[in-house]
Amino acid sequence: MATSTTIWEKLGFRKASGVTEAGWGQTLLAGLVSLIYFLPVLLIIITSFKVQNEAMSVPPKFFPTSFFGLIPDVYVFSPTLENFTSVFSRAFVTGGAVESTGFDRFFFNSMFIAGSSVLLALVIGTLAAYGFSRYPLKGNDTYLFIILTTRMLPAIVVIIPIILMFRIAGLSGSYPGIILLYTAFNLPFTIWMMKSFFDELSLDVEDAARIDGSSELRVFFKICLPQVVAGLAATFVFGLILTWNEFLFALLLTGIDTRTVPVAMNQAVAGGGIGVLWGLLAAIETLFLIPVFLVTFFLQNHLLRGVTFGTVKR
Amino acid sequence: MAEGIKPAVRLSGIAKSYGKVRALENLSFDVAAGRFFVLFGPSSVGKTTTLRTIAGLVRPDSGRLEIDGRDFTNEPIAGRGVSMVFQSFALYPHLTVFENLAYPLREEKVASAEITRRVNETAAMLKLSQRLDRKPNTLSGGEQQRVALGRSLVRQPKILLLDEPLTNLDAKLRHDMRAELKRLHRQFGMTIVYATPDELEALSMGEEIAVMRDGMVVQRGTPEELYERPVNTYVAGKIGSPHMNMLQAKVGKDARTFETPLGKMSPKVPRKTAAAGEAAIIGIRPSDIRLAAKGEKAIASKIHLLEPLGDITIVSVEAGKEVLRMVLPEARATAIKVGDPANIYFDPNDIHIFRAASGQVMT
Repeated sequence: MATSTTIWEKLGFRKASGVTEAGWGQTLLAGLVSLIYFLPVLLIIITSFKVQNEAMSVPPKFFPTSFFGLIPDVYVFSPTLENFTSVFSRAFVTGGAVESTGFDRFFFNSMFIAGSSVLLALVIGTLAAYGFSRYPLKGNDTYLFIILTTRMLPAIVVIIPIILMFRIAGLSGSYPGIILLYTAFNLPFTIWMMKSFFDELSLDVEDAARIDGSSELRVFFKICLPQVVAGLAATFVFGLILTWNEFLFALLLTGIDTRTVPVAMNQAVAGGGIGVLWGLLAAIETLFLIPVFLVTFFLQNHLLRGVTFGTVKR
Repeated sequence: MAEGIKPAVRLSGIAKSYGKVRALENLSFDVAAGRFFVLFGPSSVGKTTTLRTIAGLVRPDSGRLEIDGRDFTNEPIAGRGVSMVFQSFALYPHLTVFENLAYPLREEKVASAEITRRVNETAAMLKLSQRLDRKPNTLSGGEQQRVALGRSLVRQPKILLLDEPLTNLDAKLRHDMRAELKRLHRQFGMTIVYATPDELEALSMGEEIAVMRDGMVVQRGTPEELYERPVNTYVAGKIGSPHMNMLQAKVGKDARTFETPLGKMSPKVPRKTAAAGEAAIIGIRPSDIRLAAKGEKAIASKIHLLEPLGDITIVSVEAGKEVLRMVLPEARATAIKVGDPANIYFDPNDIHIFRAASGQVMT
């Protein structure tokens, strides 16, 4: 084959075949629009390298260096890593001893809770979706709709009964409690997503496997599941983003030891008497972005690739 | 079928409904071992359901299925020694060609070295050796078809079911694959049950053909039998190309002559069951009609339409209010123009006579 695969293509930046590239003008325009949307994220990342008095300065300081005097000094800040170190340990009182902030724990909590609940929802939801897709109950698909209704209420409405239930069940503040809650929270979405992927598969392919001697279990694991890897990746990423950023349930149902980053962040930046610690906040947010960013980045290959399409003539 | 020979497949009184839709109704036929057997009929007459029943993918509501003399009606799929090629090919999209071919063997727990040997052998036979590392979606339609065929052949089935395997191929490939399938059948001698809506495929490949309608077999026989002696207008209209000419007619007072729009006809062999005055349908094969020679009792007509097909030309003529199709060799047809008068002739002994009410042949 003559075409070489670039590193970008290996990472998943692949163009559909047979399409023409846009012109420079269109690309630039799209870039400009993207920049506007991306600006908040960019500002946060820049701010995380600023000290407190530069963080809110007017006019905003955008550049970490003056590029050999090209940029006026008012727009230039002096970059520092101080915010990042103080995410994990800092002196809480001016001149006091440096203490751990517990953020290493909170980051672990976020990863552990979001990761395990999304995975758990994926396992249960995929099995349920296959069941719903291949062995539908009598009547129409109303039950699928009912599954989704559990997500139609705003969280704030259901939070009080849930708090009470958790208190009685002794789940408040524990890992199993919040993981179970997030699993339930992710299930409807997972079931709907995965069912649509299973619905797309050719039933003939499964029948072919049955004739070739596969049991139902092997049909599922050897034939169906490998065909929906893209769906599993997409569902995992979307579920992870939702769960990773969840605030309300985490605020009310996690304890000191199980606190997740969004909750901890909120409590950390109220900087005793000197207003919001913008630099610190930006640093936490920047660090908070990285795990989901990486997961999404490495799964995008699967997100974009339609492994199952175009293989079966209909 | 000769007495004492066990049929490879026997279906007796099979019925199957999907909800309110009757797919199969009292379906019975048997297939002799080693036979190339064709199930022929338009779409949704139950061909696929029949194949799926033999494969075990469908449990019949009633009736009995025997394979090699053993009752398999309610048995699981495994152990039937049956493999199937689907119309959609149904390749495993996530597996390479090699793994597609190896899959049935892996499920049978065949030793790894043996798998490699047999897959390579099958791939070589089907000219797929250069494609073993490819995924199915990178193959051409013909190659996908051969992989599907290879996957069915690799475990050396006693019975091979083919569900419209050529429908998704282009015309040239179809022709090649017809020859290929016949060759494979000769080479391996397995029983083949082949479903197709294509009359040409049925006639050219089938050693025996069962014509299906509404979930039942209407007539079965060799291609010649179906062509020469169709039992009803349905079979007569489906087998033979161009299609049989059909004329409304009436049985005459003597119950021997037939009054047709083209005049009275009295075949030498009388139809004993014909009742005087009964409505009938007269069928005339286009190939039985020719231009009249001098002195023959000709029917005057006018050329209506010419469809040249290379070595033959299909000529439609208007005789009275009727339009008849006939087949002429190219040499005879070149001189003819639309609008020309033509005297045509056919032997009244060659006509097929059916009851108008039931469509059944009049005997």
